[in-house]
Amino acid sequence: MATKLNLSAPSDSDLSSLADQTASSRSINRSLRVAEKERRKNEAEDPFVLALKYFSDVEAGTPLFGNDEFEKNLVLVERLAYSKGLSPEAISIMLEFAMSLRMGNAPCVRVLKCLIPTTVVPQGAVVRAVVWLGVGKIPINTQILFIKWVLTVFDLIDAKDQLRAVYGFIFSFVTDENLCPFICHLLYLLTRKESVRVFRVRKLLELQSKLGRQPFLLHLLSLYKVFCPELVTLSIPSRMRSGFRNYNSPWKSALIAVQKRNGSQVASSTSLPFTIKDKTNPRKRKHCHLELPVLSSLVNKQAQTELSSSRKVVPLVQLHSLTQLLENMHRIELPAQMGSLLGSSLALQYLDCVQDESALLRLNFWLGYALHEEFLFCGDGGGSQTSEEALQFLDKLLSSQHFLQESFSSSEAFLYKFLSVWDGSLLRPQILSLLSNIPVVPSSQIGRLLFEPLMQLFFTSSLFFKCGLMECLSNMLLKWLTWHSVYALEDDLDISLNSHTSINMTLSGFKDSVMELVHFVGRLASVGLQLEGCHSLLLSFILDFYEAVCDTFLKYGLPLVVMPPPGVFYPALFSLDPVSVDRLAFIMYRYKVNLTSAKTQEKVTEQAFHISRQTFREFNQYLVVMVNCLWNSKMFNPGMGVQLGEELLLKSNVPQYWTSFDLIHHPAFMSYAVDFHQQCWPGRKDMDFNSIKHSKPWSWYLEYLYSQGYDGLKQFVPTP
Amino acid sequence: MKMSLLKPFSKLPGLNTANILLVESEEQFQQNLADTLVEETAVTVNVRLAKSLPLPMENEESRPRIDLVVFIINLTSELSFRSAEASLKYLDPGYFLGKVCFMVTNARNASVPTERLDAVRKLAASLHCPLLFAEDQTPDGVTNAAERLLTILKVAAGLVPMATALYLSNLTRCTLPPDIDQPSFD
Repeated sequence: MATKLNLSAPSDSDLSSLADQTASSRSINRSLRVAEKERRKNEAEDPFVLALKYFSDVEAGTPLFGNDEFEKNLVLVERLAYSKGLSPEAISIMLEFAMSLRMGNAPCVRVLKCLIPTTVVPQGAVVRAVVWLGVGKIPINTQILFIKWVLTVFDLIDAKDQLRAVYGFIFSFVTDENLCPFICHLLYLLTRKESVRVFRVRKLLELQSKLGRQPFLLHLLSLYKVFCPELVTLSIPSRMRSGFRNYNSPWKSALIAVQKRNGSQVASSTSLPFTIKDKTNPRKRKHCHLELPVLSSLVNKQAQTELSSSRKVVPLVQLHSLTQLLENMHRIELPAQMGSLLGSSLALQYLDCVQDESALLRLNFWLGYALHEEFLFCGDGGGSQTSEEALQFLDKLLSSQHFLQESFSSSEAFLYKFLSVWDGSLLRPQILSLLSNIPVVPSSQIGRLLFEPLMQLFFTSSLFFKCGLMECLSNMLLKWLTWHSVYALEDDLDISLNSHTSINMTLSGFKDSVMELVHFVGRLASVGLQLEGCHSLLLSFILDFYEAVCDTFLKYGLPLVVMPPPGVFYPALFSLDPVSVDRLAFIMYRYKVNLTSAKTQEKVTEQAFHISRQTFREFNQYLVVMVNCLWNSKMFNPGMGVQLGEELLLKSNVPQYWTSFDLIHHPAFMSYAVDFHQQCWPGRKDMDFNSIKHSKPWSWYLEYLYSQGYDGLKQFVPTP
Repeated sequence: MKMSLLKPFSKLPGLNTANILLVESEEQFQQNLADTLVEETAVTVNVRLAKSLPLPMENEESRPRIDLVVFIINLTSELSFRSAEASLKYLDPGYFLGKVCFMVTNARNASVPTERLDAVRKLAASLHCPLLFAEDQTPDGVTNAAERLLTILKVAAGLVPMATALYLSNLTRCTLPPDIDQPSFD
């Protein structure tokens, strides 16, 4: 349809230029002209073309009632619009007809409702319609309807430069209370650095004092603040309610239907004015249903050449390598659909190194909207198809976050909300991965936002959920510590945790958050082990966590040492599997190395951090217990962590109870002792473990254990 | 007819047995949940279903000791919430020491007014009971909901060494609704 319907085809200027051509080409041109004539004749018979002609020619003041011709033509246009959509030319004609109110308001509303584009909306038509807004005859509801339409088709408008040129004109409508929310949304999409002016900021602040802290005003102001922080001194909450409401516009479903129907057709059409080659299913933000839009550019080729060299922009889609990206860094045009950035590694690279925050702000806006509206409160309760879409979407989001090595603030805000209504199983791997990516949470908020919902989930869920959450929290800690070691400033006092967001945290604030996290996991681990009967799988995940905790000072440069609680230490020490005991020994060894190096550094540099005596006391206590228990066969000695009355121990009738947890009798190592005994004294019939205790066989036995891969034990007690 | 007040310790427990009572006024989710619950093999799980409390007097004798009472609330229906609220007073106070929990469905539904979810939260928090969320539309969601109820049930029935219902409920009880929309970050 788009190619067939070309009302102003080869214009007069084209024809007149032909006159200069040589005679040889004239004959070709003549045959072309004949073909053209033929085509026009065919078109003239097309009722739809006639209908359009009617709307472009109809005179102002033509009566509406009893006008059969009008009715017939409009029905024709409507039918085509809802089935195939309207071509750019048809959109122009119909929009012009509607906004000029040539036949009053009623047909205007009707026409606006059927403006479903097949491909693109010509920018010129929108600009003309905006100008009609200023004439002031259009009823306010119709004006709102028109702005809603522009917002709905915004990504389909073929270029934005002229619209941006009338930014000031559009801005003037902001004073209208009814139009304000919609105009703010439109301005949000159009704003560039140069559009931010003092008088506009003043106007918005004035409106805010009149209307209250409306989210739409706040959102626009926050964008202004990103572009010109010096102009907007207002403090803007870092987490805002999603600002622009989802207008359940009449075009939504019709547009999806038309685009789905035309999907293949659009793809095969090569005559489109802008790069659309990969865009088989062009959807816009509002209809995305969690599908990432394909990275495309809305900068018209023609428009691009018209632009002055100073403002020349390069759309991201035209760049194919990092070198190209670096060369054009200063003049990149972001795509209208920010979500498409998530799918392109080059775009992510750009996001990562670019300084202006507007890109991130817009991406967060899009993402927050998509996560909240389309996933969290999906309406139907989640059929299998939507969850499949959600799964792919979250995977994509995760891979983008891994690429950038930081999370988006909107996904963080979404997670806090989602955790409070999560059943613990829906999309568990994705949710836990997203959770492990969140940046450091201030210690004043961490309990309410994270710990309370997680604790309820942890203790009511299965063992596997418990293990999954433990792994997630380990990863979270590792990421926090890595951020610290990367972003910590030289003076060791202030760290900026995230290169993009402006969350700055003092070192002590960061330490508090990490400490809260470690203590929280300690509580979960102690009680979790108790409830699950010290399950070795859970224990293994818990020891993973403490392998990170014990090395915070040496590996990540964070002056903080937190010992595991007894509820973790003793179950690991008395565990039935030797691997857990060995890992505990390794962890204790790393604690020792960290504490020793902290101590020496404290002596060398005066202003080094201070580790509390309590930590050293706890460490020494554990160390004594471990050595006495495993090596010295002095279990239950007075002064150790586990104490039992002498009488009670005698009553138990365990012979030589003090040896029962040494490396020979420990339930985890008994089988090794038996094996060693058989290898050492093959002839002996009766097993006498005490003979291993003699100094020579004991050192052989330790060598034997080390040779089985128990390096933790070896490092814990270095051989003399 | 005289109605009975359900008491947690008026009868002796059975050996290796746990009994759970599912109360749901709409009777949509409980049957599904019950079918999954009885598949547990480690212990014998008896599931009793009720539309609301009090329970009729006639089965009083044959009814086993109930270890855990679960109120299933469909958030899309105000009636469902009201019915659960009204049933609460037919429970002996002893049940509120860890043997009652609330299970909510449709919490992610867009049509649910936030006030209702807040009201359920407040109710659960004031009674010191856990509040579980369930995805009742998908088979995975049902399995998971049953699994979580079993985790609580086993403790409430005394089948987990070193743990009591009161101890667990202290860790899992609902806390007052967080107001995430307006956090005071700055």
